[in-house]
Amino acid sequence: MKARCQALLGTFVEISIEQDDSLISLDDAFKAIKQIQYLMSFHDPLSELNQINQHAHLKTVQVHPWTAEVLKIAQDIHQQSDGLFNCGIGHRLVAAGLLPRQLNLSTYQLGGIEDICFITPQTIHSKKPICLDLGGIAKGFAVDKAIDVLKASGIDSACVNAGGDLRVFGDTLRSIQIRNPSKPTQLIDIGTLKNGAIATSSLYFAQRDRLPSHIINPLTEDVQQIHVNFSGSFSVIAEECVYADALTKVLTLSNRHDHPCLHHFCAQAIKIAV
Amino acid sequence: MNWKPNSFAVLGLAMMSAPIIAHAKIYVSIEQVQNIFFPKQSLTKSPIVITEDLQEKMRVASSIRHPFQGNRIWKTANGGWLIVDEVVGKHEMITYAVGIAPNGSILGIEILEYVESYGYEVAEAQWRAQFVGKSAKDPIKLNQDIQNIGGATLSCKHITDGVKRVSVLYDLALKEK
Repeated sequence: MKARCQALLGTFVEISIEQDDSLISLDDAFKAIKQIQYLMSFHDPLSELNQINQHAHLKTVQVHPWTAEVLKIAQDIHQQSDGLFNCGIGHRLVAAGLLPRQLNLSTYQLGGIEDICFITPQTIHSKKPICLDLGGIAKGFAVDKAIDVLKASGIDSACVNAGGDLRVFGDTLRSIQIRNPSKPTQLIDIGTLKNGAIATSSLYFAQRDRLPSHIINPLTEDVQQIHVNFSGSFSVIAEECVYADALTKVLTLSNRHDHPCLHHFCAQAIKIAV
Repeated sequence: MNWKPNSFAVLGLAMMSAPIIAHAKIYVSIEQVQNIFFPKQSLTKSPIVITEDLQEKMRVASSIRHPFQGNRIWKTANGGWLIVDEVVGKHEMITYAVGIAPNGSILGIEILEYVESYGYEVAEAQWRAQFVGKSAKDPIKLNQDIQNIGGATLSCKHITDGVKRVSVLYDLALKEK
Protein backbone atom coordinates (compact mmCIF):
# COMPACT_ATOMS: atom_id res chain seq x y z
CA MET A 1 0.00 0.00 0.00
CA LYS A 2 1.38 3.37 -1.05
CA ALA A 3 -0.11 6.69 -0.12
CA ARG A 4 0.26 10.38 -0.79
CA CYS A 5 -1.28 13.20 1.17
CA GLN A 6 -1.82 16.86 0.27
CA ALA A 7 -3.34 19.79 2.13
CA LEU A 8 -6.49 20.60 0.13
CA LEU A 9 -10.11 21.61 0.81
CA GLY A 10 -9.04 22.84 4.26
CA THR A 11 -8.04 19.35 5.30
CA PHE A 12 -5.64 16.51 4.54
CA VAL A 13 -6.48 14.56 1.41
CA GLU A 14 -4.93 11.11 1.31
CA ILE A 15 -4.91 8.83 -1.73
CA SER A 16 -3.68 5.30 -1.26
CA ILE A 17 -3.25 2.63 -3.91
CA GLU A 18 -2.01 -0.94 -4.08
CA GLN A 19 0.50 -0.49 -6.90
CA ASP A 20 3.96 0.47 -5.71
CA ASP A 21 5.26 2.33 -8.70
CA SER A 22 2.49 4.73 -9.53
CA LEU A 23 2.75 7.47 -6.90
CA ILE A 24 3.19 10.09 -9.60
CA SER A 25 0.14 8.78 -11.42
CA LEU A 26 -1.87 10.09 -8.47
CA ASP A 27 -1.13 13.64 -9.65
CA ASP A 28 -4.22 13.77 -11.87
CA ALA A 29 -6.48 12.72 -9.01
CA PHE A 30 -5.03 15.46 -6.80
CA LYS A 31 -5.47 17.90 -9.69
CA ALA A 32 -9.19 17.08 -9.85
CA ILE A 33 -9.49 17.86 -6.14
CA LYS A 34 -7.54 21.10 -6.60
CA GLN A 35 -9.93 22.05 -9.38
CA ILE A 36 -12.90 21.51 -7.05
CA GLN A 37 -11.20 23.65 -4.41
CA TYR A 38 -10.67 26.35 -7.03
CA LEU A 39 -14.34 26.22 -8.08
CA MET A 40 -16.09 25.75 -4.74
CA SER A 41 -13.95 27.36 -2.04
CA PHE A 42 -15.71 29.86 0.20
CA HIS A 43 -12.30 31.18 1.32
CA ASP A 44 -11.13 32.14 -2.17
CA PRO A 45 -12.90 35.37 -3.18
CA LEU A 46 -12.41 34.48 -6.86
CA SER A 47 -13.97 31.01 -6.70
CA GLU A 48 -17.00 30.22 -8.80
CA LEU A 49 -18.98 29.74 -5.59
CA ASN A 50 -18.26 33.33 -4.56
CA GLN A 51 -19.24 34.56 -8.04
CA ILE A 52 -22.58 32.79 -7.56
CA ASN A 53 -23.03 34.33 -4.12
CA GLN A 54 -22.24 37.78 -5.46
CA HIS A 55 -24.11 37.81 -8.72
CA ALA A 56 -26.64 34.99 -9.13
CA HIS A 57 -29.56 37.04 -7.78
CA LEU A 58 -28.69 39.92 -10.12
CA LYS A 59 -27.90 38.11 -13.35
CA THR A 60 -27.39 34.66 -14.82
CA VAL A 61 -24.08 33.01 -13.96
CA GLN A 62 -22.27 30.48 -16.13
CA VAL A 63 -20.91 27.59 -14.07
CA HIS A 64 -18.53 24.67 -14.56
CA PRO A 65 -20.26 21.30 -15.12
CA TRP A 66 -18.95 20.09 -11.74
CA THR A 67 -20.41 23.09 -9.92
CA ALA A 68 -23.72 22.50 -11.71
CA GLU A 69 -23.59 18.84 -10.69
CA VAL A 70 -22.99 19.65 -7.01
CA LEU A 71 -25.79 22.22 -6.98
CA LYS A 72 -28.19 19.70 -8.55
CA ILE A 73 -27.31 17.01 -6.00
CA ALA A 74 -27.61 19.57 -3.18
CA GLN A 75 -31.08 20.53 -4.43
CA ASP A 76 -32.11 16.89 -4.65
CA ILE A 77 -30.98 16.16 -1.08
CA HIS A 78 -32.58 19.39 0.11
CA GLN A 79 -35.89 18.26 -1.34
CA GLN A 80 -35.67 14.67 -0.10
CA SER A 81 -34.73 15.81 3.41
CA ASP A 82 -37.57 18.36 3.65
CA GLY A 83 -35.04 21.15 3.92
CA LEU A 84 -32.81 19.64 6.63
CA PHE A 85 -29.90 19.78 4.19
CA ASN A 86 -29.39 23.25 2.80
CA CYS A 87 -26.16 24.82 1.55
CA GLY A 88 -27.62 28.29 1.98
CA ILE A 89 -26.13 28.67 5.45
CA GLY A 90 -22.84 30.41 4.58
CA HIS A 91 -23.91 33.58 6.39
CA ARG A 92 -24.40 31.63 9.64
CA LEU A 93 -20.82 30.35 9.46
CA VAL A 94 -19.57 33.85 8.58
CA ALA A 95 -21.42 35.34 11.57
CA ALA A 96 -19.81 32.73 13.84
CA GLY A 97 -16.35 33.55 12.50
CA LEU A 98 -15.99 30.10 10.91
CA LEU A 99 -15.83 31.48 7.37
CA PRO A 100 -14.38 34.75 6.05
CA ARG A 101 -16.72 37.60 5.18
CA GLN A 102 -16.75 37.94 1.39
CA LEU A 103 -19.86 40.09 1.06
CA ASN A 104 -21.87 42.43 3.20
CA LEU A 105 -25.10 40.51 3.50
CA SER A 106 -26.73 42.03 6.54
CA THR A 107 -29.31 44.01 4.60
CA TYR A 108 -30.59 41.09 2.57
CA GLN A 109 -33.26 38.53 3.19
CA LEU A 110 -31.34 35.48 2.10
CA GLY A 111 -32.70 32.50 0.24
CA GLY A 112 -31.38 28.95 0.08
CA ILE A 113 -30.37 26.25 -2.39
CA GLU A 114 -34.03 25.94 -3.43
CA ASP A 115 -33.86 29.43 -4.96
CA ILE A 116 -31.29 28.39 -7.56
CA CYS A 117 -32.86 27.95 -11.01
CA PHE A 118 -31.16 26.32 -13.96
CA ILE A 119 -31.67 28.34 -17.14
CA THR A 120 -29.51 25.89 -19.10
CA PRO A 121 -27.58 22.89 -17.72
CA GLN A 122 -24.69 25.24 -16.94
CA THR A 123 -26.35 28.61 -16.45
CA ILE A 124 -27.98 29.50 -13.17
CA HIS A 125 -29.93 32.30 -11.62
CA SER A 126 -31.13 32.78 -8.05
CA LYS A 127 -34.55 34.06 -7.09
CA LYS A 128 -33.15 35.61 -3.91
CA PRO A 129 -29.74 36.77 -2.67
CA ILE A 130 -27.92 33.71 -1.36
CA CYS A 131 -24.84 32.83 0.65
CA LEU A 132 -24.11 29.24 -0.29
CA ASP A 133 -21.38 27.28 1.44
CA LEU A 134 -20.54 23.91 -0.12
CA GLY A 135 -18.50 22.80 2.91
CA GLY A 136 -21.07 20.12 3.68
CA ILE A 137 -20.93 18.41 0.30
CA ALA A 138 -17.89 19.41 -1.78
CA LYS A 139 -15.40 17.18 0.05
CA GLY A 140 -17.49 14.13 -0.72
CA PHE A 141 -17.91 15.27 -4.31
CA ALA A 142 -14.14 15.78 -4.63
CA VAL A 143 -13.51 12.27 -3.33
CA ASP A 144 -15.84 10.87 -6.01
CA LYS A 145 -14.15 12.86 -8.78
CA ALA A 146 -10.70 11.67 -7.64
CA ILE A 147 -11.97 8.08 -7.70
CA ASP A 148 -13.27 8.64 -11.27
CA VAL A 149 -9.84 9.88 -12.36
CA LEU A 150 -8.06 6.93 -10.74
CA LYS A 151 -10.42 4.46 -12.41
CA ALA A 152 -9.95 6.15 -15.79
CA SER A 153 -6.17 5.99 -15.45
CA GLY A 154 -6.27 2.23 -15.01
CA ILE A 155 -5.72 1.94 -11.26
CA ASP A 156 -7.78 -0.97 -10.04
CA SER A 157 -7.92 -0.44 -6.30
CA ALA A 158 -7.69 2.72 -4.21
CA CYS A 159 -8.91 4.70 -1.24
CA VAL A 160 -9.43 8.46 -1.29
CA ASN A 161 -9.83 10.06 2.12
CA ALA A 162 -10.56 13.80 2.40
CA GLY A 163 -9.99 14.42 6.10
CA GLY A 164 -12.31 11.64 7.24
CA ASP A 165 -14.75 11.44 4.33
CA LEU A 166 -13.59 8.49 2.30
CA ARG A 167 -14.42 6.16 -0.55
CA VAL A 168 -12.84 2.85 -1.49
CA PHE A 169 -12.90 0.97 -4.76
CA GLY A 170 -11.49 -2.30 -6.00
CA ASP A 171 -11.93 -5.97 -5.37
CA THR A 172 -10.85 -6.08 -1.75
CA LEU A 173 -12.95 -5.59 1.33
CA ARG A 174 -11.16 -2.92 3.34
CA SER A 175 -11.48 -2.47 7.03
CA ILE A 176 -12.70 0.96 8.05
CA GLN A 177 -11.83 2.66 11.32
CA ILE A 178 -13.52 5.74 12.63
CA ARG A 179 -12.31 7.99 15.40
CA ASN A 180 -13.72 7.43 18.84
CA PRO A 181 -15.65 10.66 19.50
CA SER A 182 -14.75 10.65 23.18
CA LYS A 183 -11.03 10.13 22.43
CA PRO A 184 -10.31 10.99 18.78
CA THR A 185 -6.75 9.58 18.79
CA GLN A 186 -8.31 6.15 19.31
CA LEU A 187 -9.96 4.33 16.46
CA ILE A 188 -12.95 2.04 16.36
CA ASP A 189 -12.93 -0.74 13.80
CA ILE A 190 -16.49 -0.47 12.49
CA GLY A 191 -16.50 -2.99 9.65
CA THR A 192 -15.35 -3.69 6.13
CA LEU A 193 -16.32 -1.89 2.97
CA LYS A 194 -15.92 -2.58 -0.72
CA ASN A 195 -16.82 -0.08 -3.44
CA GLY A 196 -18.50 2.37 -1.12
CA ALA A 197 -18.09 5.56 0.86
CA ILE A 198 -18.37 6.73 4.45
CA ALA A 199 -18.52 10.23 5.89
CA THR A 200 -18.82 11.41 9.47
CA SER A 201 -20.12 14.47 11.31
CA SER A 202 -18.85 15.15 14.77
CA LEU A 203 -17.73 18.06 16.89
CA TYR A 204 -14.78 16.61 18.79
CA PHE A 205 -12.17 18.63 16.89
CA ALA A 206 -14.33 21.78 17.01
CA GLN A 207 -14.84 21.36 20.74
CA ARG A 208 -11.16 20.59 21.31
CA ASP A 209 -10.22 23.78 19.45
CA ARG A 210 -13.01 25.76 21.21
CA LEU A 211 -14.81 26.59 17.98
CA PRO A 212 -18.57 27.00 17.67
CA SER A 213 -20.46 24.13 16.07
CA HIS A 214 -20.30 24.12 12.28
CA ILE A 215 -23.47 22.01 12.11
CA ILE A 216 -26.16 24.54 11.25
CA ASN A 217 -29.88 23.96 11.45
CA PRO A 218 -31.19 25.66 8.28
CA LEU A 219 -34.81 25.48 9.42
CA THR A 220 -34.57 27.83 12.37
CA GLU A 221 -34.22 31.56 12.87
CA ASP A 222 -33.83 31.12 16.63
CA VAL A 223 -30.28 32.19 17.52
CA GLN A 224 -30.09 29.58 20.28
CA GLN A 225 -30.82 26.75 17.87
CA ILE A 226 -28.82 27.74 14.79
CA HIS A 227 -25.59 26.04 15.89
CA VAL A 228 -26.38 22.46 16.78
CA ASN A 229 -24.29 20.99 19.58
CA PHE A 230 -24.05 17.29 20.25
CA SER A 231 -21.66 14.65 21.47
CA GLY A 232 -20.89 11.39 19.74
CA SER A 233 -20.57 11.02 16.01
CA PHE A 234 -22.83 10.36 13.06
CA SER A 235 -21.57 8.44 10.05
CA VAL A 236 -23.31 7.62 6.79
CA ILE A 237 -22.35 4.85 4.40
CA ALA A 238 -23.40 5.24 0.78
CA GLU A 239 -22.33 4.20 -2.67
CA GLU A 240 -20.89 7.62 -3.48
CA CYS A 241 -19.09 9.96 -1.11
CA VAL A 242 -21.05 13.07 -2.11
CA TYR A 243 -24.19 11.45 -0.68
CA ALA A 244 -22.41 10.10 2.39
CA ASP A 245 -21.01 13.59 3.11
CA ALA A 246 -24.27 15.51 2.65
CA LEU A 247 -26.44 12.93 4.39
CA THR A 248 -24.40 13.11 7.61
CA LYS A 249 -26.03 16.51 8.05
CA VAL A 250 -29.51 15.00 7.63
CA LEU A 251 -28.67 12.23 10.10
CA THR A 252 -27.12 14.60 12.64
CA LEU A 253 -29.96 17.14 12.51
CA SER A 254 -32.76 14.58 12.52
CA ASN A 255 -31.00 12.16 14.91
CA ARG A 256 -32.90 9.44 13.05
CA HIS A 257 -31.01 6.50 11.59
CA ASP A 258 -34.22 5.51 9.76
CA HIS A 259 -34.81 8.92 8.17
CA PRO A 260 -36.60 8.32 4.83
CA CYS A 261 -34.03 10.46 3.04
CA LEU A 262 -31.26 7.96 3.96
CA HIS A 263 -33.42 5.17 2.63
CA HIS A 264 -34.12 7.09 -0.57
CA PHE A 265 -30.39 7.32 -1.32
CA CYS A 266 -29.71 3.72 -0.20
CA ALA A 267 -27.56 4.98 2.67
CA GLN A 268 -26.96 3.48 6.09
CA ALA A 269 -26.38 5.27 9.38
CA ILE A 270 -23.95 4.60 12.19
CA LYS A 271 -24.22 6.57 15.37
CA ILE A 272 -21.47 6.36 17.95
CA ALA A 273 -22.84 7.50 21.27
CA VAL A 274 -20.61 8.64 24.10
CA MET B 1 -21.31 -1.58 -2.61
CA ASN B 2 -20.55 -4.21 -0.02
CA TRP B 3 -20.67 -3.09 3.62
CA LYS B 4 -20.15 -5.57 6.42
CA PRO B 5 -20.50 -3.86 9.75
CA ASN B 6 -18.95 -5.29 12.89
CA SER B 7 -21.58 -6.57 15.26
CA PHE B 8 -21.70 -3.47 17.46
CA ALA B 9 -22.08 -1.20 14.45
CA VAL B 10 -25.28 -3.02 13.49
CA LEU B 11 -26.69 -1.84 16.78
CA GLY B 12 -25.27 1.61 16.19
CA LEU B 13 -23.20 1.43 19.33
CA ALA B 14 -19.52 1.78 20.02
CA MET B 15 -18.00 -0.98 22.02
CA MET B 16 -14.35 -1.78 21.95
CA SER B 17 -12.07 -3.94 23.91
CA ALA B 18 -8.74 -2.86 22.49
CA PRO B 19 -8.75 0.55 20.87
CA ILE B 20 -6.37 1.17 18.00
CA ILE B 21 -4.26 4.28 18.39
CA ALA B 22 -3.95 6.71 15.51
CA HIS B 23 -0.29 7.52 15.68
CA ALA B 24 1.86 8.11 12.66
CA LYS B 25 1.62 8.00 8.94
CA ILE B 26 4.65 8.28 6.72
CA TYR B 27 3.68 9.05 3.15
CA VAL B 28 6.61 9.92 0.93
CA SER B 29 10.35 10.46 1.35
CA ILE B 30 12.24 13.62 0.43
CA GLU B 31 13.54 11.84 -2.70
CA GLN B 32 10.01 10.92 -3.72
CA VAL B 33 8.68 14.43 -3.19
CA GLN B 34 11.53 15.84 -5.31
CA ASN B 35 10.40 13.53 -8.07
CA ILE B 36 6.74 14.48 -7.59
CA PHE B 37 7.34 18.22 -7.99
CA PHE B 38 10.34 18.15 -10.31
CA PRO B 39 10.27 14.89 -12.24
CA LYS B 40 13.50 14.04 -14.07
CA GLN B 41 15.24 17.17 -12.80
CA SER B 42 18.29 17.19 -10.61
CA LEU B 43 18.11 19.20 -7.42
CA THR B 44 20.98 20.76 -5.52
CA LYS B 45 20.84 21.10 -1.79
CA SER B 46 20.97 24.83 -1.01
CA PRO B 47 20.84 25.36 2.75
CA ILE B 48 20.61 28.96 3.90
CA VAL B 49 21.36 30.65 7.21
CA ILE B 50 18.19 32.00 8.73
CA THR B 51 19.02 35.35 10.33
CA GLU B 52 17.12 36.48 13.41
CA ASP B 53 15.48 39.18 11.34
CA LEU B 54 14.20 36.67 8.75
CA GLN B 55 13.09 34.26 11.46
CA GLU B 56 11.07 37.07 13.04
CA LYS B 57 9.46 38.08 9.74
CA MET B 58 8.46 34.48 9.10
CA ARG B 59 7.03 34.24 12.60
CA VAL B 60 4.94 37.40 12.18
CA ALA B 61 3.56 36.24 8.81
CA SER B 62 2.59 32.80 10.00
CA SER B 63 2.21 33.04 13.80
CA ILE B 64 4.30 29.85 14.03
CA ARG B 65 6.79 30.10 16.88
CA HIS B 66 8.69 26.89 16.25
CA PRO B 67 11.90 28.12 14.48
CA PHE B 68 12.41 27.38 10.80
CA GLN B 69 15.47 25.31 9.92
CA GLY B 70 17.26 26.41 6.77
CA ASN B 71 18.95 23.10 6.01
CA ARG B 72 16.19 21.38 4.03
CA ILE B 73 16.10 23.52 0.91
CA TRP B 74 16.81 22.33 -2.63
CA LYS B 75 17.06 24.18 -5.92
CA THR B 76 16.58 23.12 -9.53
CA ALA B 77 18.83 24.34 -12.34
CA ASN B 78 16.09 26.61 -13.74
CA GLY B 79 15.11 28.33 -10.49
CA GLY B 80 12.52 26.02 -8.93
CA TRP B 81 12.68 25.37 -5.19
CA LEU B 82 11.75 22.60 -2.81
CA ILE B 83 11.43 23.47 0.86
CA VAL B 84 10.80 20.96 3.61
CA ASP B 85 9.47 22.22 6.92
CA GLU B 86 7.47 20.94 9.82
CA VAL B 87 4.70 22.32 11.95
CA VAL B 88 4.38 21.28 15.54
CA GLY B 89 0.86 21.82 16.74
CA LYS B 90 -0.66 21.02 20.10
CA HIS B 91 -1.90 17.69 18.83
CA GLU B 92 0.24 16.79 15.88
CA MET B 93 3.58 17.12 14.16
CA ILE B 94 3.54 17.35 10.38
CA THR B 95 6.48 17.34 8.00
CA TYR B 96 5.54 18.83 4.66
CA ALA B 97 7.15 20.01 1.46
CA VAL B 98 6.36 23.03 -0.67
CA GLY B 99 7.35 23.03 -4.32
CA ILE B 100 7.85 26.46 -5.89
CA ALA B 101 8.03 26.92 -9.66
CA PRO B 102 10.66 29.21 -11.26
CA ASN B 103 7.95 31.89 -11.63
CA GLY B 104 7.26 31.83 -7.88
CA SER B 105 3.93 30.02 -8.02
CA ILE B 106 3.34 27.19 -5.57
CA LEU B 107 3.41 23.82 -7.34
CA GLY B 108 1.92 21.97 -4.43
CA ILE B 109 1.95 21.15 -0.75
CA GLU B 110 2.78 17.54 -0.07
CA ILE B 111 2.64 15.91 3.35
CA LEU B 112 5.66 13.71 4.14
CA GLU B 113 4.75 12.58 7.65
CA TYR B 114 1.80 13.05 9.90
CA VAL B 115 2.34 12.19 13.55
CA GLU B 116 -0.63 12.50 15.81
CA SER B 117 -0.57 12.31 19.55
CA TYR B 118 -1.26 14.04 22.81
CA GLY B 119 -0.05 17.59 23.32
CA TYR B 120 2.51 16.74 25.97
CA GLU B 121 4.18 14.16 23.75
CA VAL B 122 4.38 16.46 20.78
CA ALA B 123 5.95 19.15 22.99
CA GLU B 124 8.84 16.84 23.97
CA ALA B 125 11.86 17.39 21.72
CA GLN B 126 13.05 13.90 22.59
CA TRP B 127 9.77 12.34 21.52
CA ARG B 128 9.88 14.22 18.23
CA ALA B 129 13.48 13.18 17.60
CA GLN B 130 12.48 9.55 17.24
CA PHE B 131 10.65 10.35 14.00
CA VAL B 132 13.37 12.45 12.39
CA GLY B 133 14.85 10.83 9.31
CA LYS B 134 12.46 7.90 9.37
CA SER B 135 11.22 6.64 6.08
CA ALA B 136 8.17 4.64 5.13
CA LYS B 137 10.33 1.53 5.47
CA ASP B 138 10.79 2.05 9.21
CA PRO B 139 8.16 0.23 11.19
CA ILE B 140 8.68 2.30 14.35
CA LYS B 141 5.42 3.79 15.63
CA LEU B 142 3.90 3.17 12.25
CA ASN B 143 0.96 0.89 12.19
CA GLN B 144 1.06 -0.32 8.61
CA ASP B 145 -2.38 -1.87 8.88
CA ILE B 146 -4.27 1.32 9.55
CA GLN B 147 -5.18 2.88 6.27
CA ASN B 148 -8.75 4.05 6.20
CA ILE B 149 -9.52 6.42 9.03
CA GLY B 150 -12.89 8.10 8.94
CA GLY B 151 -14.10 10.80 11.28
CA ALA B 152 -14.74 14.50 11.74
CA THR B 153 -12.80 16.71 9.35
CA LEU B 154 -9.30 17.41 10.52
CA SER B 155 -8.27 21.00 9.80
CA CYS B 156 -5.07 21.70 7.89
CA LYS B 157 -4.80 25.24 9.27
CA HIS B 158 -1.31 24.63 10.63
CA ILE B 159 -0.10 23.67 7.18
CA THR B 160 -1.70 26.80 5.72
CA ASP B 161 0.23 28.83 8.32
CA GLY B 162 3.38 26.89 7.48
CA VAL B 163 3.03 27.71 3.80
CA LYS B 164 2.74 31.40 4.71
CA ARG B 165 6.15 31.30 6.33
CA VAL B 166 7.65 29.37 3.44
CA SER B 167 6.27 32.06 1.09
CA VAL B 168 7.97 34.77 3.18
CA LEU B 169 11.21 32.79 3.04
CA TYR B 170 10.91 32.56 -0.72
CA ASP B 171 10.15 36.27 -1.16
CA LEU B 172 12.91 37.50 1.14
CA ALA B 173 15.69 34.97 0.76
CA LEU B 174 15.29 32.64 -2.21
CA LYS B 175 13.72 34.57 -5.08
CA GLU B 176 16.82 36.61 -5.93
CA LYS B 177 19.25 33.72 -5.59
